[in-house]
Amino acid sequence: MKKVLIVGGGTGATILANSLDRRRFDITVLSKSPAHMFQPALLYVAFKDAKPDVSRDERGLLARHVRFVQEPATRIDLRGHVVITGNGARYDYDEIVIASGVTTDPSQIPGLSEVDAEFGNYHTTVAQAQKVWTRLGAFRGGTIALGQSSPIIKCPPSPVEGALLAEELIRRKGLREKTRLVFFTPYPRAYPAEPMNEIVEPILRARGIEILTFFDVDRIDPATRTIFSIEGESLQYDLPIIIPPFVGADIAYEPADVVDANRFIVTDKQTLRIKGVDDAFAIGDATNLPTSKAGVGAHLEARVVARILSGERAAFDGRTHCPVDLGGGRGTFVIGSYTAPVVKYPPSRLSHVMKMAMGRIYWLSLRGTLEPVFDWYFRHTDPGKLNGRFRAPSAPAGVR
Amino acid sequence: METTAAPRTIVDSRGSSCPGPITDLAMAYRRSKVGDVIELWATDPGVKPDVRAWAAKTGNQVVSIEEPEDKIVAVVRIVKR
Repeated sequence: MKKVLIVGGGTGATILANSLDRRRFDITVLSKSPAHMFQPALLYVAFKDAKPDVSRDERGLLARHVRFVQEPATRIDLRGHVVITGNGARYDYDEIVIASGVTTDPSQIPGLSEVDAEFGNYHTTVAQAQKVWTRLGAFRGGTIALGQSSPIIKCPPSPVEGALLAEELIRRKGLREKTRLVFFTPYPRAYPAEPMNEIVEPILRARGIEILTFFDVDRIDPATRTIFSIEGESLQYDLPIIIPPFVGADIAYEPADVVDANRFIVTDKQTLRIKGVDDAFAIGDATNLPTSKAGVGAHLEARVVARILSGERAAFDGRTHCPVDLGGGRGTFVIGSYTAPVVKYPPSRLSHVMKMAMGRIYWLSLRGTLEPVFDWYFRHTDPGKLNGRFRAPSAPAGVR
Repeated sequence: METTAAPRTIVDSRGSSCPGPITDLAMAYRRSKVGDVIELWATDPGVKPDVRAWAAKTGNQVVSIEEPEDKIVAVVRIVKR
């Protein structure tokens, strides 16, 4: 039996562990937390006061033959084939898959730690997301500044979703006339992938949301309530809703150069093998893959690694399929791949219903039993085919 | 012409369509200092106007944008930080 060690306890780790054949693999999942969080739900905790029922016990999500160890990996020696945990325990393996996700690091931006502590965020914990809701509840008018404080974040649609849901909320509370809502972004446009921006930007504008592009946060002065950008501009706020910078998990590696400056694991785009190392893979948010940090990526990458470990030929195609809540009960999906540009996928009520449904079937999907349904769905929504149906207009909006 | 003396960072963003190569350039800019040269590799054609717009906005220089057979290579010199 091949010993497979999976580091992490999120979407990718769980689907992979449950996908491997118990007769061929001795599987251990090593995670620092006993809980598994459905992270997209935090958006609704922050902007709709949704019931914070977003976590399950990871042990219960894993098939019975999978060994679950709740310990934080602190050091991974990829040459010596051993993982060392916080309490000094050592776990050896034949094959390792690192799915350790990302964490936030507000300390990268001077002033952000104070803002984060006071105003919360909707990307980390239920308590922080509830703080956003509380602050929005206390808001009586002024400037809401919402955006990401670093170019790389988990879930690229989430800043736009936050802006649209915040606007919907203040409108419902009768505060729209008294509120300036500014969406800031380090990118040249509201959504970085242009075809999706052509959908999103007109909606933001129609709702009176100001879009401040090329605003890459340098520092924040909480005393004067001002955000300064690297580009030399500033933005004053009354209520800041700021997505903190993301970095890889705090794990020391041997060799050290398998992680980049943000601790993302340098991973082959197709084979998902960790650069320069045999018998080691990385999946999900933990990687430096040039694709969205989102659950769907972790899911599909877990499937690819499961097939490779089982001796099949498989490669990750960079597929993204991220739902976007556009407010007002409408939604769309960001669909693309390494070879197909993002589709200009029209908003619909159905897409919103599907996003909501995913929140319900998520826990079941971790079992791996819905894979035939997902396979059919992903084939049906192949970005190459969809681009033929929803061709972008010849003169795209934006910076051109 | 580009001299070979400047430290050159290669940013491989080939295949990125979402969120896109501009995110990788912005990330490299954060870590850069004046005098650095960033060479961005991409396959998304949107990178060309984006790099020009980014350079105009941030006050940095586009040294060249070329298209050898399998990729687009944008070379940017950091003069403002």
